[in-house]
Amino acid sequence: MKDISLVKLMPKEPRVPFINMRVVAAILSVIALIASVFLFTTRGLNYGIDFTGGTVIELDFGQETDLELVRTAVGEMGFDGATFQGITPPLEANKNYEFIRVGIPLQPETEETGGSEAQQIALRTIEAGLTEKVGKFEVYSQDVVGSKVSGELRTKGMLAVGLALLMVLAYIWFRFEWQFGLGAVIALFHDVLLTIGVFSLTQIEFNLSIIAAILTIVGYSLNDTVIVYDRIRENLRKYKTKPLPEVLNLSINDTLSRTILTSLTTLLALVALYILGGAGLRGFSFAMIWGVFVGTYSSIFVASPLLLLLKLKRGVNTGNAEAKA
Amino acid sequence: MLFFSKWKITFILGAVLLGLFFALPNALSPEMREKMPAPFQRTLNLGLDLQGGAHMLLEVDLSSVLAQALDNEREAIRQEFREADRLRTEFIRVNEEGDAVVGRLRNAEDMPKALELLRKLSVAVDPTSLSTDKTTKVEQEGEKGFKVTITDANIESIQARTIAQSIEVLRKRIDPQGTTEMTLAREGDDRILLQVPGAKNVGEIKDRINKTANLSFHMVRKESGSEAAMRLAAEGKLPPGAIFVLNQDDPGGLILEKRTKITGECLKSSSEGLHPTANYPIVNFSFNITCAKIFGKLTSENLGQRFAVVLDNEIITAPRINGAITGGSGYIEGSFTIESARELSLLLNAGALPAKLIIVEERTVSAELGKDSIDAGKTASIIGLIGVGFFMWLSYGFRFGTVANIALTTNIVLIAGALSLMGATLTLPGIAGIILTIGMAVDANVLIFERIREEAHLGRPPVNAIETGYRRSLAPILDANITTLIAAVTLYFVGSGPVRGFAVTLAIGIVMSVFTAVVVARLITSTWLRRTRPKTLPI
Repeated sequence: MKDISLVKLMPKEPRVPFINMRVVAAILSVIALIASVFLFTTRGLNYGIDFTGGTVIELDFGQETDLELVRTAVGEMGFDGATFQGITPPLEANKNYEFIRVGIPLQPETEETGGSEAQQIALRTIEAGLTEKVGKFEVYSQDVVGSKVSGELRTKGMLAVGLALLMVLAYIWFRFEWQFGLGAVIALFHDVLLTIGVFSLTQIEFNLSIIAAILTIVGYSLNDTVIVYDRIRENLRKYKTKPLPEVLNLSINDTLSRTILTSLTTLLALVALYILGGAGLRGFSFAMIWGVFVGTYSSIFVASPLLLLLKLKRGVNTGNAEAKA
Repeated sequence: MLFFSKWKITFILGAVLLGLFFALPNALSPEMREKMPAPFQRTLNLGLDLQGGAHMLLEVDLSSVLAQALDNEREAIRQEFREADRLRTEFIRVNEEGDAVVGRLRNAEDMPKALELLRKLSVAVDPTSLSTDKTTKVEQEGEKGFKVTITDANIESIQARTIAQSIEVLRKRIDPQGTTEMTLAREGDDRILLQVPGAKNVGEIKDRINKTANLSFHMVRKESGSEAAMRLAAEGKLPPGAIFVLNQDDPGGLILEKRTKITGECLKSSSEGLHPTANYPIVNFSFNITCAKIFGKLTSENLGQRFAVVLDNEIITAPRINGAITGGSGYIEGSFTIESARELSLLLNAGALPAKLIIVEERTVSAELGKDSIDAGKTASIIGLIGVGFFMWLSYGFRFGTVANIALTTNIVLIAGALSLMGATLTLPGIAGIILTIGMAVDANVLIFERIREEAHLGRPPVNAIETGYRRSLAPILDANITTLIAAVTLYFVGSGPVRGFAVTLAIGIVMSVFTAVVVARLITSTWLRRTRPKTLPI
């Protein structure tokens, strides 16, 4: 019984001179990083109410309703900076649903309204006003976040990313030479910054689930980097006389088919999620798709060449790895 | 790496089967599920974002409770000093910072006696425990001054009590019949997490949270005409011991006697009803024995005068006393509808909240949106699974592709089993975690297969290549997955709400994917090797 794979996706021994492209890659990365920081500082992120506080309600009027009518009605109630969006849920298009999403910015919380009560008061005003001026509706979903909670979520989010980076650094440090640890973490910063950059560029809502996505990107990108690093360590032992750039290049090529296959399956799942997973997960899956690209790129073009820059010494790092291999 | 002892095989198959059984109830109809043995009846808990419901974070206004505690302390000190002979003070009051009761004695020689009395008032926070924490700390300030602060231990105990009591009251208010599967739990220092699944009447729930339902009966002062009262109150010229309270429905208000012994705690029960003659909605109430006596005395001594029923600082009604009410029961008439009468009696039965509650976060998802999310998640998972599975066949051929896909399927089953067993909650981000796992889980198998390919290419015979492939890929697999696990665990501990659900499924997915790739897939491969003893590798 002959059983041969339909396609050999990769040549058996790819020999792409990745390391030789390091200067181009470095220039590209630095430009992208500068652009990200620039975008982030000038344009900022489109924070969701998780981080800004405020109210978002999705309303189902049971019939197609004019968005302008809602806009005018809410405007008359005096909510400045409110946002409006007509949504038809995916897969439900034939049912002729008209969902309208109304976003109300954080209302000032004065002594009088008492803490976060202001948001609840705004919500009641909107609901009563819309019923009167537009018509009866069902609430599809509503989120109300006070300033105290949004502040906490902001702190927690930053803490989570920072903490994850630190812990991961500690682990790599423990398992590899310090150059690997530093290289991996620089690559991670690269990925996180570029992700923030792309969110600033596209102005896609940045909320709690994006923080989750960033942490997952950290995990994924590191996964990739560690696989390459592991092979570099192994090849350093195997080819004691080969110059370092060649060993790096060989290792990247050795693991290339795995890198590409895993990226492809992950992308497959994520694209399915992006297209079919509903509006609630679209931002998350977008971030992850981007993260898979950036993470794969960074482990090949950032994390590995960094070892050259950090002057990885040979022969020191054979100790504990030998036993595990 | 390729040899498995009999007991090891049994163990692995046992673990997979167990996972399958734990996952099974999710696929069964409720009727069939009931016939399963008890440990296998658990299913995935759906988060509120999937089944629909209201999630609210309530902040308890503890500052008012602590202020009240200080007030009580001051009253207690005054009383104690009054009862002690010749102990005279210049003042006893709560200080400007609002964190202590301060006072000054007339005569410095009274100090030892005063301190003794103050220390007597400081009792154990929890008499039933071994800890020696006292309720207050007494300090002497200068020759004549003293300062009494509430200890941290006592503050903590007051907070805990306030929150426990609030939770109790909320439970009775929101779920008087005890039929809803809702969650009420303390969160952090001063918050309560309320989760009500499938809530259709969020507005009603919020109304019940917002009302403190502080009921009290006060005598109305004689000089209290509405307009005159307003003027007096505006000028701040209220006589001592009097308060001005606004009417609930009509404009204006009345001046009332501040002190009262008839409060919400007097209530034995209340119910909505109809007025015996006029037939409009009223709220019936009955007092406990102690209060019934007090109320009887009060009404018989004040015939012809008015008393006011005050709820949350508003006068509901202020009837004239036409005869002594000695039975301890009566009714409140206001401008009630049947609904509002029912609502009020429910609130009164549940009791007053010890402090005001503020909704600091609310997330409500309709059952419809929840169902849409589940459907979308299902479609995305199935398409993702088929895509990845097909892709594995394409890359590794029928034989090894099948091994990888069995591992992948086992992985999903085990995730479902583990989540059901743990009673973990599946949230929308949790579904994302599972779909992501579908994509990433094959990674371990890809690593192994690529390595086997490589080793075979180096000229190793099949068994040797597979053996070496498994051995050499173990370290990178562990390294790579532990790092992702670290990220997931961090997310769990720092994240909140639905994001935690994501962290849980991601973490379980990682662990299970390593198990299925490194153990289950290896077992399958080794069994196949032993059966067929292939000359070349179909990879």
